[in-house]
Amino acid sequence: MNLSELRPALDRWLDDNAAALAPQHDHRGTLDQQMAQLAKVKRMAFDAGWMRWGWPERVGGLGGSPLLRGYLGEALTARDLVEPGLYSMTEVLAPTMIDFALPELAAAMVPRLLRGDETWCQGFSEPGTGSNLASLSCRATRVADGWRVSGQKVWTSLAQYAQRCVLLTRTGTPESAHKGITALFVDMDSPGITVRPLETMHGVEEFSEVFFDDVAVPADRTLGEVGQGWSVAMDLLPYERSTALWHRGAYLHRRLDRFLAAVPPGAVTAGEVGEVFQQLYALRARSRATQHRLAAGERLGPETSIDKILLATTEQAVFDLIADGLAGDVVLGDDPAAERLRAEFLYSRAATIYGGSAEIQRNIVARRLLDLGADR
Amino acid sequence: MDPEERELLAKSLAQVTARHTGASLDAALGDLGWADAHAADPETAVSTLFELQGSANATSSALDHVMAAALGLGDGAMSVVLPPLGSTEPPGRVYGGSVTIAGLALFAVADRDWTVVVGERAAAVLARATLGLRPVQGLDPGLGLVEVTATTAWPDAQSSCVPWPEAVAAGQRALAHELVGASRAMLDLARVHALERIQFGRPIAAFQAVRHRLAESLVAVEAADAALAAAWDDRSAFAAGVAKALAGRGARTVARHSQQVLAGIGFTTEHPLHRYVRRVHVLDRLLGDSRSLTRRLGDDLLARRSLPSILPL
Repeated sequence: MNLSELRPALDRWLDDNAAALAPQHDHRGTLDQQMAQLAKVKRMAFDAGWMRWGWPERVGGLGGSPLLRGYLGEALTARDLVEPGLYSMTEVLAPTMIDFALPELAAAMVPRLLRGDETWCQGFSEPGTGSNLASLSCRATRVADGWRVSGQKVWTSLAQYAQRCVLLTRTGTPESAHKGITALFVDMDSPGITVRPLETMHGVEEFSEVFFDDVAVPADRTLGEVGQGWSVAMDLLPYERSTALWHRGAYLHRRLDRFLAAVPPGAVTAGEVGEVFQQLYALRARSRATQHRLAAGERLGPETSIDKILLATTEQAVFDLIADGLAGDVVLGDDPAAERLRAEFLYSRAATIYGGSAEIQRNIVARRLLDLGADR
Repeated sequence: MDPEERELLAKSLAQVTARHTGASLDAALGDLGWADAHAADPETAVSTLFELQGSANATSSALDHVMAAALGLGDGAMSVVLPPLGSTEPPGRVYGGSVTIAGLALFAVADRDWTVVVGERAAAVLARATLGLRPVQGLDPGLGLVEVTATTAWPDAQSSCVPWPEAVAAGQRALAHELVGASRAMLDLARVHALERIQFGRPIAAFQAVRHRLAESLVAVEAADAALAAAWDDRSAFAAGVAKALAGRGARTVARHSQQVLAGIGFTTEHPLHRYVRRVHVLDRLLGDSRSLTRRLGDDLLARRSLPSILPL
């Protein structure tokens, strides 16, 4: 299967099954409804084979280029069938499991994620560990049959829905920084885990605080080598900035398209619309090139920080334009369509914060791409 | 072209753009057969030459060749009158048997017998003597622009159905490469200075305010470069216009940040930065400036009330 074969066949399947795939809720829906929709769409796409293309056969996939996954997520997003932020967790966490879990564990677990049977979360940030990820302190202690974990995570997306968590823990000395981190794959129903959702500015309990109180984790749930958790985290980031980012670009294209159909004459200037479109075009062009590099087997690295900067900047530009052009809806509207617009506008405020802040991305560009040396 | 040929071409072009500019660069390009390379593989020939020309702050009349080829006038010994500053419209206005011309041309127009003028519906080849030519000093004397004005007879036998939008697109892609080349050169000048200039006991490259300006510059260049690669994939007038606007705005962003990082020395003629700053402010305005291209794009999008589907994976 290649992309030119998959594209028309998938489009036809999406058309033929449009009614069954469509959300049961109107407008944005609650997070519960969005999660149920995501599981339904993944299940249908998995059973029809689409969700399996682009993943290795040893984890239940059908093989083929990652471009196939790129197009599937784009097609689902462009038709408003899934919320791209929720869908992206699959693209970010499945490759980590494939690269670092014991083969039997990956073979058993990844199909559950692809089929929509399970939700996984990513336990990286901590109250004292934001941009400086290497300073994390959630402690994993060796015991006879594995690990005992105690500590706290925060900003853990979808933790209240998750059956599993890819968790970064401190296994070295407190001063060991990035050398003393180990990644674990933790069952979220383990005794000792408490999840407390946080309500965001856009009115969604999207992420949580997660507390670990002497939680037992078996030894075979270690991802990669002990003390090599930093490379697990670093390996995951380029995925976040390739396929998942391509999907988010498709979402912004869709939003700008819908905006143009709705904007009243004179509400925004031609220059503003043209510039936002050009930003979107550059983002799509850059992200497409990255997708093709990934498909060609290239190892993605710090250059994907440019993709991330373009995404964050474009996302805020698109929603700033929408908030100006449809100000009546965003500022005053209380109907479900306006609530959706407002939620999306507010969520875009976080685009320069999550997944490595705008400042951290520019630090990476300066240090790694421009070779400007240390910053202090 | 295979990779080996491409590398060889890039190497020869790097040498000649570093040493020559203007008529002598034209002669050097003739010697190394750039026109043949352009006929065989326009993307490689244009992207390589114009990026190097931009980064060396050199000028040639290769843009004439690129536009003449797109107009179906292959032999390249003719100048093509460009639209006036900021515009993408054909420079000739035809009324009855005469044409009024207001446009710009590259330096070579003064030495050539024939010049291509495109009007609203047709193109004609006019003798040099019929044109009023004013060599421009202006903001960037090194570029060698010439202002062209004339009211003269419009010959009867003209080619109709002129591919003017294709010629503009071909020229915009070339200029966008030149802007990207100049942007990378400015960024490199600023980068070297930031690493060498010591203040408060350390290189100013250690200060985040400086680092972020340079990072922002690289993002602007890479965004334009990605759009430009996409413009070669589909070769539409639409994509070329987007790439030109991004390259023009990006170059002005890089010029602003680089000038700030280079500070005092970058404001003198003892440092080469000023030549690039001048160049990008002029190149941005040839074949459509970023502001007008952007506004026109926005007008089109607002009129159609939807986005075109772009850049399939």
